[in-house]
Amino acid sequence: MLSLLLPEIITASLGVLVILLAVILPGKGEKTVQTLTVAGLVAVLFLAVKIGVDKEVLFNGIYIIDAYAGFFKILFLTGAILVILSSANYVKNFSGRISEFYGFMLFAVLGMMIMAGAGDLLTLYIALELMTISFYILVAYVLNRETSKEAGLKYLILGALSSGILLFGISLVYALTGTTVLSEIGSRLTLEPALISAVILILAGFGFKIALIPFHMWTPDIYEGAPINVTAFLAVASKAAGLAAMVRVFISSFQLGFFDWQLILALLAALTMIIGNLVALVQSNIKRLLAYSSIAQAGYLAVGLVAANEYGLKGILFYSMVYVFANLGAFAVAVQVENDTGSNEIKDFGELGKRSPFLAAVMTVCLLSLAGIPPLAGFVGKFYLFSGAVEAGYVWLAFIGLLMSMISVYYYLNVVKVMYIGKSPKETFPAIEPSARLALWICLLLTVFLGIYPYPLTLWTGNAVKLFLG
Amino acid sequence: MLTDYATIGLFFLLAISFPLAALGLAALVRPRSYFNREKMMPYECGVDTKGKTWVRFKVNYFLYALVFLAFEVETIFLFPWAVKFNCLGLFAFIEMIIFLIILLVGLLYAWKEGALEWY
Repeated sequence: MLSLLLPEIITASLGVLVILLAVILPGKGEKTVQTLTVAGLVAVLFLAVKIGVDKEVLFNGIYIIDAYAGFFKILFLTGAILVILSSANYVKNFSGRISEFYGFMLFAVLGMMIMAGAGDLLTLYIALELMTISFYILVAYVLNRETSKEAGLKYLILGALSSGILLFGISLVYALTGTTVLSEIGSRLTLEPALISAVILILAGFGFKIALIPFHMWTPDIYEGAPINVTAFLAVASKAAGLAAMVRVFISSFQLGFFDWQLILALLAALTMIIGNLVALVQSNIKRLLAYSSIAQAGYLAVGLVAANEYGLKGILFYSMVYVFANLGAFAVAVQVENDTGSNEIKDFGELGKRSPFLAAVMTVCLLSLAGIPPLAGFVGKFYLFSGAVEAGYVWLAFIGLLMSMISVYYYLNVVKVMYIGKSPKETFPAIEPSARLALWICLLLTVFLGIYPYPLTLWTGNAVKLFLG
Repeated sequence: MLTDYATIGLFFLLAISFPLAALGLAALVRPRSYFNREKMMPYECGVDTKGKTWVRFKVNYFLYALVFLAFEVETIFLFPWAVKFNCLGLFAFIEMIIFLIILLVGLLYAWKEGALEWY
């Protein structure tokens, strides 16, 4: 039993060890801590890949280890490794507290991993809080920058509010069914008006976490204010974690014949795709652009949960994984540009195609993948999501998704245009550190590879969602 | 099923009507009141406040409260464990030691960051 929990145990001990190192070597040994964190996360990643159990339920159902949880654990670990690698130079902005930064990253990853495996609403809530509290600190990490502090405080207040809403929903479910174990809730549901409000409250709570419109208000400000590597991690991993938990809760517990939460979610998804993409059109800051684009992406992902069939659920997993590489690739380039110019405006990308052809190429491929242009990986993901919606009878939703994807091409290509046609006062670009180069190559190659040959990932995601399809 | 909710609805209406009735009746019956200095004071008992109430509190109080909270929670966990220590055995002992180590690292960190110093 303990051997199955080894990824979580190692991540937790690594986090404690890193904090301890921060106490023993204050302001020193950052390189050691960084290497240790990356090495540890890679080891945990291998371990998570190796644990290939079908389904193992631990501690009377409060923790589940299955292919679905395994998939998301690998996703979070990959995301964390890529973020740490791509921002090895950027962390110098965190004057004096670099070691702790890695500690909080590890705790956030631990929270996400437990979220993916939670089989009980309270375990889920504790894991969610572990992740979000780590993020409150990470968002406010550049203490000498006003925007970062402001973003941290905003995130704290709104995060606490959304957790409260989620918890209220959970308490109602517990009051009506007498259990918080997900697998038992399903069989104890009865026709109750209060249950409908419970489901809506839980939907709203998760909506905050994955930034569905109208619960998205926090996203742009916090994404803009946070240090850029934290923004990258927040946009990719915390969203995937929220979605992972949301899918498990809604598919395995709330199969209600009398209340159609799919329709509510479909409306939210449609609104999210429309508003997210339209507002992204007018952004001039790359972090804000990627923030609104990530809101829109949450809309696409929610389409899969609305469909709730094989294609839809497979699409969620496929698209989340693809989104990790595409979005982190785009952010990794933005980190390099911020290292160079100290700003995040899109016009700073001017002439990047000449100054650093490699960075411009990675950015172009990643953005096109986010837009869903074949043969890149984003296209395959969107294909699954929208086919799922059509199969489930939500043709209008798939239509909105396709239309909005087309609109999104404009703002993604706008950045590409600035990179290749725009002007810049500078002639050269500083050298990229080797670790960031590695992360950029991984993002670039996987985005292209999974688009051309999606079969391995399709097989894997199909295997992971099998347990939801009975 | 829905009739169960009628009770809640009735209770809700009652809860609203009670204060409304009490305040409304008082408004009808009471003599016309005039605002004076005595009436506008926040409390009509105790001693008068000296100086402004908008003062800054030291952030140290907050840090102390945070550290205190961690150890308060620790005590809550330790107490039932200590009472049932004999029947829980070695596994629970090791578990508690791990828990304490994690808390101890937190304390060390708070110490290093100067949360225990008063300045």
